[in-house]
Amino acid sequence: MLYIVLFFLMFSLLLYVLLGGADFGAGIVELFSSRENRKITRDTIYRVMGPVWEANHIWLIILLVILWVGFPGYFNVMMIYLHIPLVLVLLGITIRGVAFVFRHYDAVLDSSQIWYNRLFRIGSIITPVFLGMSFASLISGKIIITNDYTNYGFYDLFMEPWLHLFGLLIGLFYAALCAFLASNYLIAETEGDARKLYRKKSAMYTVVLVILGFILLVYGYFAGFKFIEDFIHNPVSLISVGISGLLLIPLWRNIKRGNRIWSRYLAGLQVVLVMFAAIMAHFPYIIITAEEELSLLENLAPEATIDNLAIMLLIGGFVILPGLFHLMKSFNMIKILDKSKPKEM
Amino acid sequence: MENLDYARLQMAFTLGFHIIFACIGMVMPFFMVVSHHKWLKTRNPIYLRLTKAWLKGVAIFFATGAVSGTALSFELGMLWPEFMKHAGPIFGMPFSLEGAAFFVEAIALGFYLYGWKNLPEKFHWFTGIIVGVAGVASGILVVSANGWMNAPSGFDYINGEFLNIDPVQALLNPAWFTQALHMTLAAFVATGFAVAGVHALQIFRGKNVELHTKAFKIAIVFGAVAAFLQPLSGDLSAKDVAERQPVKLAAMEAHYETQNGAPLYIGGIVDEENREVNFKIEIPGALSFLAFGDFDAEVKGLNDFPDDELPPVPIVHYAFQLMVGLGTLLMLAGLVYFISLKKKHWLKSRKYWLLFIITAPLGFIALEAGWVVTEVGRQPWIIHQVMRTEDAVTPMPGMKYSFFFYLLLYIILGITVTWLMNRQLKALNKEE
Ligand code: HDD
Ligand code: HEM
Ligand code: HEM
Repeated sequence: MLYIVLFFLMFSLLLYVLLGGADFGAGIVELFSSRENRKITRDTIYRVMGPVWEANHIWLIILLVILWVGFPGYFNVMMIYLHIPLVLVLLGITIRGVAFVFRHYDAVLDSSQIWYNRLFRIGSIITPVFLGMSFASLISGKIIITNDYTNYGFYDLFMEPWLHLFGLLIGLFYAALCAFLASNYLIAETEGDARKLYRKKSAMYTVVLVILGFILLVYGYFAGFKFIEDFIHNPVSLISVGISGLLLIPLWRNIKRGNRIWSRYLAGLQVVLVMFAAIMAHFPYIIITAEEELSLLENLAPEATIDNLAIMLLIGGFVILPGLFHLMKSFNMIKILDKSKPKEM
Repeated sequence: MENLDYARLQMAFTLGFHIIFACIGMVMPFFMVVSHHKWLKTRNPIYLRLTKAWLKGVAIFFATGAVSGTALSFELGMLWPEFMKHAGPIFGMPFSLEGAAFFVEAIALGFYLYGWKNLPEKFHWFTGIIVGVAGVASGILVVSANGWMNAPSGFDYINGEFLNIDPVQALLNPAWFTQALHMTLAAFVATGFAVAGVHALQIFRGKNVELHTKAFKIAIVFGAVAAFLQPLSGDLSAKDVAERQPVKLAAMEAHYETQNGAPLYIGGIVDEENREVNFKIEIPGALSFLAFGDFDAEVKGLNDFPDDELPPVPIVHYAFQLMVGLGTLLMLAGLVYFISLKKKHWLKSRKYWLLFIITAPLGFIALEAGWVVTEVGRQPWIIHQVMRTEDAVTPMPGMKYSFFFYLLLYIILGITVTWLMNRQLKALNKEE
């Protein structure tokens, strides 16, 4: 039963990183585009992501619920010590979520669109950056779990763990990963000039990603982050990252040949491998504090709860996944490809 | 004020904000589906226009509900980490089921919003029903989690430890049914009257009367029927509270002395120092009857409970009076509507429309007041008789800033949504 829960935990994390990530990434691509291209991206995002937009973000809630029900001790540490970066993540989620809807459902098209667009783009970049920073703080070795508020100040306990260069690098790395995913995703959804555009974007973000990843490893290593040391010494992690790098070759072949479906899966697989590498480097000790490492498996809820949660997840999975696939298929996207603008509702 | 107070204020404010959007997200799909059905049956284009206009509104409300709900899921942990550490594994089941309900809702909404062209008509309409049903299901599930905080069950609490956890029993806690029933009805009352009121205002101003009259009729039927059932369900809730949280009942009624045949107070100013209520109207024996179905039953007063287990009595009392008062009023307004079905000429009178403009916000006010009764009435406990709120709060200082941050963010959001709705209405009226 525990393994079912762990499976769903990883599964929803993965889907959030992939689907939510592609969503953030689309906003980032839009942010760093020229004026005309922004318009194209905006319309493509609406057509492609619109129907699944809500569903993409519920993975975060599922993830959260699994954590708090199944791994309460773990959740407790995250919620206390990552309070501030998580508030910033929420700010990002809030503004991009509402701006996305406002810009498509506002009854009047006027200058307020400029604001919605701005908020959507800004939200799209701050959310993954702070998500990355939150994750970084878990493995930074800077969290201090204590009740001693006389010796430790506010800054030591609640800022220091996340506010550092290493965290920022991971944040940017995740943001670049999102943009990489989104541009590959968008290649498959467009035709002609727009496609060329996303192809260029995809190349650009690949380069950014590789450079950032390299800086991250080198900096992390020399700054003595335990996580990076363990990462480098973990064969599974290294091999996964290696494969992910090698996959760039078939990815590029497929993109060139215009094989849309494969290029999308390959990009997804690459991201999965990178994530897998990061998690394997330290599994199950996913929180590294200043003194100790907290194991996911030692902070479990009682057995009855785990069993119940597993059953609920299985039932939920059987109800949801077929519907979700059907939704994705119905609006698929690849088949429809009508270049006409989405009909006004 | 302390950190704890700000954390509470933030919880109250963000929940109070979310509930408005959640209720609209729960109930509006039903209005939409009715209008959509009428379109399919009559092919009167007005119904199509109405359905699509509501749909745009729902999309906006839905997004706001979803982001504020996501924030809430984090907040439960961020504000009350000690609570979630122990409660999470026990009352997690409704939330994991709710996750499934959200998914179903989001998937169905995807179909409904984007399926006008590509889906078979009937199936498309049916996805609208699923949106509504899944919304109500998620509402019921969260309220069950809240019920558990009022009536903790499904575990043994021994020496500060939570043992023998049974998530199913926690889900089916003694409070879940009355609370979920009352809440679901409340959502229909509040949304029904609010939507009806918005359309009544347009009719009052003589704008696009035909469309707005159709809209009004759909919304008000739901609101009026629910408003009739609401006091009945409220009575069930009160009997339930009397049994499981006698302090809360006493605070609702500002009832200090334990008494047989206790009187019901209507109105009145609570004097906390002298432990009495001034300027009230008294109905002898009525409280005993309402709480226990017997005019002579003993109702325990606040004086019989330890001082450090009392909630803030005036807030609970005033909120309760407000809810019940407004509930009675809305029931009467519902009655007016039912009578107007017979007396058609009322629809021509401006007073009739004015009435429904005035009642527009009242349902939501009653709903917020009701939550204040439930939540503030549970104080000082976060889990009734098990864990105190002050022991659950986050150790992080500076909640003040967090509270003002959310206050500002949500006020801006609230204003924007209102402004957007106004634009939708204007656009709708222009189409005429
Ligand atoms: C439109 C909104 C509305 C209206 C008209 C009423 N209520 Fe209510 N009431 C609620 C909306 C609400 C609520 C916001 O939905 C609450 C909060 C928690 C809950 O389950 O429902 C609630 C709670 C609540 C409780 C506390 C339940 C608990 O703590 O477990 C009682 C005793 C009543 N109500 C009783 C009544 C009575 C006797 C009414 C007679 C007219 C009434 N309510 C009208
Ligand atoms: C009585 C109180 C509540 C009711 C009736 C309620 C009901 C709902 C409903 C019907 C929705 C669907 C969205 C919409 O239609 O706008 C929703 C959204 C949401 N609610 Fe609440 N809710 C309540 C309190 C809470 C609480 C306390 C939490 C957090 C623990 C929460 C978490 C969420 C989340 C995460 C969503 C977004 C789901 C999505 O992305 O669609 N809600 N709520
Ligand atoms: C949406 C309708 C709701 C409203 C308007 C509401 C309102 C409030 C208010 C006013 C407080 C502050 C009480 C005080 O400190 O004096 C509060 C506290 C709280 N509520 Fe609710 N509540 C709602 C639903 C829920 C639900 C569904 C849950 C849980 C599943 C919940 C969980 C909490 C928690 C954990 C606290 C903080 C601890 C406490 O003060 O006891 N609430 N809420």
